[in-house]
Amino acid sequence: MATATPPSELSPSSVFHARALTKTYGDGDAVVRALAGVDLDCSAGEFVVVLGASGSGKSTLLNLLGGLDTPTSGTLFYRGWDLGRADEAGLTRYRRDAVGFVFQFYNLIPSLTARENVALITEIAADPMAPEEALQLVGLGARMDHFPAQLSGGEQQRVAIARAIAKRPAVLMCDEPTGALDVRTGMAVLEAIERINRDLGTLTLIITHNSVMAGMADRVLTLSDGHITGEKRNATRVAATSLAW
Amino acid sequence: MSLLDLKLLRDLRALKSQALAVALVMACGLAMMIMTRSLIASLENTRDTYYRENRFAEIFARLKRAPNSVAAQLAAIPGVAAVQTGIALQVTLDLPGVIEPATGLVQSLPEQGELVLNRLHLRSGRILLGRESMGEILAGEAFAEANNLHPGDRIAAVLYGRRQNFRVAGIVLSPEFVFEAPPGAALPNNKTYGVFWMPYKELATASNLDGAFNNISLRLAPGASEAEVIAAVDQVLRPYGGRGAYGRESHPSHTRVRDEIKILQGLSIGFPLVFLSVAAFMTNAVMSRQITLQREQIAILKAFGFSNWEIGGHYLKFSLVIVVGGTVLGTVGGVALGHRLVEMYHLFFRFPALEFHLATSVVVMAIIVSMVAAIIGVVGAVRAAVRLPPAEAMRPEPPSSYRPALVERLGLGRAFTATFRMALRNIERRPARSLLTMGALALATGILVVPNAFRDGIGHVLDYQWDMIQRQTVFVALIEPGPARALADFRALPGVVLAEPVRGAAVELRAGNHFRRLTITGLPARAELYRVIDASDRQLTLPAQGLVLSAKLAEVLGVKPGEAISVRVLEGKRPQFTVPIVALAEDFAGTAAYMEIGALNRLLGEGDRVSGAYMSVSAGEWVNFLEAVKASPRAVSVVVKNRIREGFRETTAQSIGLLQQIYLTFATVVAFGIVYNSARISLSERQRELATLRVIGFTRGEVGAVLVGELAVLTLLAMPCGLVIGAGFARLILASVNTEFVRLPLILTPANYAFAVLVVAVASLVSALLACRRLDQLDLVGVLKARD
Repeated sequence: MATATPPSELSPSSVFHARALTKTYGDGDAVVRALAGVDLDCSAGEFVVVLGASGSGKSTLLNLLGGLDTPTSGTLFYRGWDLGRADEAGLTRYRRDAVGFVFQFYNLIPSLTARENVALITEIAADPMAPEEALQLVGLGARMDHFPAQLSGGEQQRVAIARAIAKRPAVLMCDEPTGALDVRTGMAVLEAIERINRDLGTLTLIITHNSVMAGMADRVLTLSDGHITGEKRNATRVAATSLAW
Repeated sequence: MSLLDLKLLRDLRALKSQALAVALVMACGLAMMIMTRSLIASLENTRDTYYRENRFAEIFARLKRAPNSVAAQLAAIPGVAAVQTGIALQVTLDLPGVIEPATGLVQSLPEQGELVLNRLHLRSGRILLGRESMGEILAGEAFAEANNLHPGDRIAAVLYGRRQNFRVAGIVLSPEFVFEAPPGAALPNNKTYGVFWMPYKELATASNLDGAFNNISLRLAPGASEAEVIAAVDQVLRPYGGRGAYGRESHPSHTRVRDEIKILQGLSIGFPLVFLSVAAFMTNAVMSRQITLQREQIAILKAFGFSNWEIGGHYLKFSLVIVVGGTVLGTVGGVALGHRLVEMYHLFFRFPALEFHLATSVVVMAIIVSMVAAIIGVVGAVRAAVRLPPAEAMRPEPPSSYRPALVERLGLGRAFTATFRMALRNIERRPARSLLTMGALALATGILVVPNAFRDGIGHVLDYQWDMIQRQTVFVALIEPGPARALADFRALPGVVLAEPVRGAAVELRAGNHFRRLTITGLPARAELYRVIDASDRQLTLPAQGLVLSAKLAEVLGVKPGEAISVRVLEGKRPQFTVPIVALAEDFAGTAAYMEIGALNRLLGEGDRVSGAYMSVSAGEWVNFLEAVKASPRAVSVVVKNRIREGFRETTAQSIGLLQQIYLTFATVVAFGIVYNSARISLSERQRELATLRVIGFTRGEVGAVLVGELAVLTLLAMPCGLVIGAGFARLILASVNTEFVRLPLILTPANYAFAVLVVAVASLVSALLACRRLDQLDLVGVLKARD
């Protein structure tokens, strides 16, 4: 990987700064270019939706931005810090302090209650909010002492969101957050995400193949074959409650 | 190969380390079973063949002196098939290059022909025949080896007060001395005690027994009653100072071999069963997890038309591969350990050829036992899997439901971290599995306590015997009880600081139907060197009349202090009297009866006599003292305390050392296997949870702690239980070992416990770390995106 120095002209609000970001898997004839030279800048408070079909490279982008993987080449900075060249411990530190994840399949710890699932994070984070506060934010103040098996899918996903934001992360990464949910519950989940972005000013990235969510975003990126093939800015954001699919 | 079998091979490859862990635990059980059962068979066969081929006698007796013509009377007793008379004489030995003398028992070889009974087995050199070989001697192998004696070497012995030089003609074994040690000894001490044979004529001349004998062995005719023959022999020998005949069951060497076989029998069932149960549980855990993971595959196979039997058979084969692996490892291990133990037995038992023979029937039995264990382990999991209708099996299992753990419900949960709560709730959600895991870890801790309890028990006995009771430097015995002035002669020896007399008398003690033959030891009322100690470690003062018995003797005779016991003296004027039991003494080796020496002499009616003396000798004069004793015509045996003590220590170290190694290996394998296996299963079941933790920013170490937290809690709970179990094992095994001849107290020291805890903690920690290394291979994103 080329030596990277943080560009001096970065604005203070810049969260991600990526240039020629490339990720390949395998080698020789079997080489797969999952991400083929992506340039991207994201600022604090932005709401970004990344659209793309399966295999377009959107999950790879999320893995790199989320510190779950490192790029093959190109540069990636998080607030001027060279995320692209971070080691294992650095990535763990980054995920612990800066990123909140929300996955399609909730991934709650079944042996912990809603409150404890959130507390898991607040125990290790530097400046967390109270677990109760996080759960209130997602509208689950009344079901805090239930175990995951006692919650519906939508409720579980909202616990996952509470868990992701309780540490006051700089970035909220959501990978198909409504993929496993019906429309009504999906909408409640998106509302929660929207509120976090608005109230806490968290840079929010949603990765989805569902183009309906594009209306919620400040900016919509379209990925195909590892390239950014489209970028659109919405003049006004549509409220989650008005979405329909 | 069918495709299912191919799948089996690939699945096995994926699970190889877990399969190995199970196979190793199973192998431990099998190794122990194969080793002990084969050793029992080897010992029994070797012993029986040896006894038969070398015509080991069935009844034995010592006497003062009887003319050779009495042999015919003995042979005429109904039920007696063969009689061997001869001379047995205690001697002091002087070995070249060794300052301290050793003690030997010399027996006579017949003037004509071979021994009729207790025939010798020649190891090297040549056998002595007839009367032509003057000045030659045969030596028992154990003593010869310990003292590096070879045919052609010279040895000096004080025979009935006369020092004579002998040439070792041959090294031999005798069925009478498979355990070559003085009667009553728990452990052999081959450096200081040996057995020898020399032609009758020479021995008879030296011991003034020409034309007479003082030792007999008899063989019974088929169907003869041992008790009747013993009674008849006692009758015949009474006028000749007979000390009472006894059968094989009281023969010191025979009982020692018999007791060893008894111990092996105990070990051959209990321990292997426990190990195999742990292995069965581990198989069950591995297979249950495998079947859960393969739920969908099973459903598809069933949807394609495979029968329940075919699918069940497939998973059964899986566990049978583990059984075969375990059996092979166990057999190899059992044979290897068996060979090592046979070497150790060579320290104790001298057979012409004690070889380890693998009892093949035992291996077959072992295979069956472990197969049954494996089948029991796997059958429940397989049955649950094949019972599911295919459509249902293709759906993922419903999410696991949890609830707060008991301690939390009791309101104690507030202080716990989230990860600790996870561990507690996981433990509680699968109580059976947690209990069995804990049980296995407790077992691993427990078995470690056993060998050290043995070591500490023996150490305690030795310290007790030689610091509390016997505080002399040396014990010197006279050829036969002599006048009291012999004591003055002892006191005049160079360097003697203190000499206290002792008088021994062979007696039969009888209380109701119970009787025992032993020697009453007469001592000064409150001796300095040989102290009679009670159970609370206080020295007893021997009263002017009455007996002090060792507690074990009182127990076997069924008597208590305050009661009277009848005493029949088996030597001298053979008086009979009844005396009160005044107190009980505590001791650990043999059984003893004590009396104040004056009181004993009065009852014996032979005047003021002594059999020997306990002496304390100053270190500076030690060599001069020994020279003087060796030259003394009256001293017949010289027992140097520190040499015996050292010898015991060496033997103990060697035998306990081997046991410790074996138990240590087994405990490590169990602790390692169970922790590793549990951690791997836990990793498989909870990889989603663990991946989530990694993604949200837990470090590898923190996630590792979540993975093994549950096991750490179980290990911590298991260890104290293990110590209790270990103490129980030790108590049981010591109880099975304890006899009238040897008693080991249960000594459990903090060091012993600490060792067991440390070994299990280290084994658990290392295997947990190994399992945690798998966390690095966790595909974080893949796991999270997959549907459960």
